[in-house]
Amino acid sequence: MKRRKFIKTLGLTGAASFMMPSILKSGTFGTSASNGFADHVVFVGFAGGLRQQETMMQRYLTDSQGLNGSSYEGNIMYNMLNGSSPTDKIVYGTDPAFGLPGSNPIPQILAQTLETQGTTFKEIQAAGYGHYSALVTLLSGSKSTTQGLRRRPAMPTIFEYARKHLDLAATDTWFIGNGLGNSTPLLNYSNHPDYGAKYGANFLAPSVAFGNEGEKHIKNGRVYDYQQEMSKIYEMQQFLNKSYNLSARDFGGVENTPEEKEDIKAFFREMFNKKASNLIARPPVSDNNDMNTIGYACEVLKWFKPKVTFINLNNIDTCHANFTGYLKNIHRADHAIGHLWNYIQTQIPEMADNTFMMLTPDIGRNLEPNNVVDENDWLSYDHSDANATRIFSQMVGAGVQANLQVGGPGNQIGDITDSMLTVGEALGIKNMIQSEGLISGDAVSLFDRI
Amino acid sequence: MKRLLIYLFCFLLVSSCAKEEYKYGLTSTDILQPSANKDKLKTAEQYIAVLYVNLFQKAISTKELIELERIVRSVGDKRLVYELIISSFLNDPEIILPENADMRSDIKTFLEASYQRFYIRKPSELELEYFRNYIENNANVTPEMVYFSFAISDEFFFY
Repeated sequence: MKRRKFIKTLGLTGAASFMMPSILKSGTFGTSASNGFADHVVFVGFAGGLRQQETMMQRYLTDSQGLNGSSYEGNIMYNMLNGSSPTDKIVYGTDPAFGLPGSNPIPQILAQTLETQGTTFKEIQAAGYGHYSALVTLLSGSKSTTQGLRRRPAMPTIFEYARKHLDLAATDTWFIGNGLGNSTPLLNYSNHPDYGAKYGANFLAPSVAFGNEGEKHIKNGRVYDYQQEMSKIYEMQQFLNKSYNLSARDFGGVENTPEEKEDIKAFFREMFNKKASNLIARPPVSDNNDMNTIGYACEVLKWFKPKVTFINLNNIDTCHANFTGYLKNIHRADHAIGHLWNYIQTQIPEMADNTFMMLTPDIGRNLEPNNVVDENDWLSYDHSDANATRIFSQMVGAGVQANLQVGGPGNQIGDITDSMLTVGEALGIKNMIQSEGLISGDAVSLFDRI
Repeated sequence: MKRLLIYLFCFLLVSSCAKEEYKYGLTSTDILQPSANKDKLKTAEQYIAVLYVNLFQKAISTKELIELERIVRSVGDKRLVYELIISSFLNDPEIILPENADMRSDIKTFLEASYQRFYIRKPSELELEYFRNYIENNANVTPEMVYFSFAISDEFFFY
């Protein structure tokens, strides 16, 4: 009810047009979009498998390495969560000039945690144990993910719903991937016949596009003047295409207009220039690929101000063989999120007060360890048992109630399929998504679970 | 006179039995579009390897091919990322391109060679006519720009 009051006070109810059929510019016929309460949505796939024990339960080493005592418990995600930090065996920070590796915790970025600023569902149900299927579920709200790796999702993603029903351009929607693994480049649109490439998001894997390969193969491309050169190249291309008369045009992936393509090319040039000057908007501590991904995500947000952005993090998955690295990467993922939210609020005025951000891990991790030990003789954890289906979800920003906690360990409220529908509600297309009937029957907007 | 009439009769008799040959002035020609049989989409590796050969007249190394395939996967708009790669190829000093003066002095030969290089076929008269007019009416169009348009055209993505 408080949320409804909030929306009402903003004058955004738009009830008269809520269910009115209309023909959108895109040619779709259906229920019109109601007013969303956010102009921009940032949706973070928070990282490659997190145990509830080291995150929401703040147990640090006590539920994993057989260490007992309050000094081994505590919060290592203090941009996202309230709670004091552990005081002994600190390994998750940066390396000091003198002293034990990792013993310098990274300073907090946000003055108030996201838990205080927003709403936290402390334990929700994941869909399974694997990264790929979980990412597909996060993006599509559907558990129909049996198609497996190297295939696109069977059901539409949030990008496709948003582009089709809000009539968005390709550059209004972005998927920032942490790399090319887990078929990540295939998750920017589905194979669904009513959606697909023409409603897909722009995908970008900065670690490759702006990494060594990008430096070598695209950084030094010739810059063509659009009016004098590129427009003529496109004219000749159009003639050649007419001769070939190809009817199916989706073989090239998501398609930007010539103007959008020129804008993206300019963005690429700017990124290479900024990279050369070490000016990419990375977090203050940037020593893993998640930090790099967040840095470029900040640049995409600043340049394009997209309506929908999905960011995928996964360095935490090192937990298969390195528990110490896992703790470090949890701490860094929290640091990255603090930086991201701070950057949106302080460096992108167009998004500062009208952005909704949602964070949901893809999967959890096992209760019992495997046999791999790391440099501290700590045991590692895979993701294959019931504990791996325990995750959380957090949201902050436009339309979100502050300082609200829902559910908790042993009291699951929410499901991973809820996240996409919740984002849909923030965008004002929840009813349209539901009316399509392509999401899980269990899915409910998290706002409706409060 | 009588003999003359007999000869005339015999001549008419023989000539009237000769088989008539009708000639319509037609020549044989292909009825399908020259690109009709190209219906298989090239993989990213195939596209890059063929493009590289077309532009550099030599085979690409395996290492570079792997790197470029990863670049293609790192960007969602494939046409865009191919444009970025082509721009980079065309800025390489080792690129082998016809001279602008040569193109303009013999547009037909340039076009036939371009169609053969990129499409492995001859251009139709319509295609020759379009490009001849386009090049003649646009003084700033260079062989590089024509090659660029071929490289990003639909037909070049198929084999």
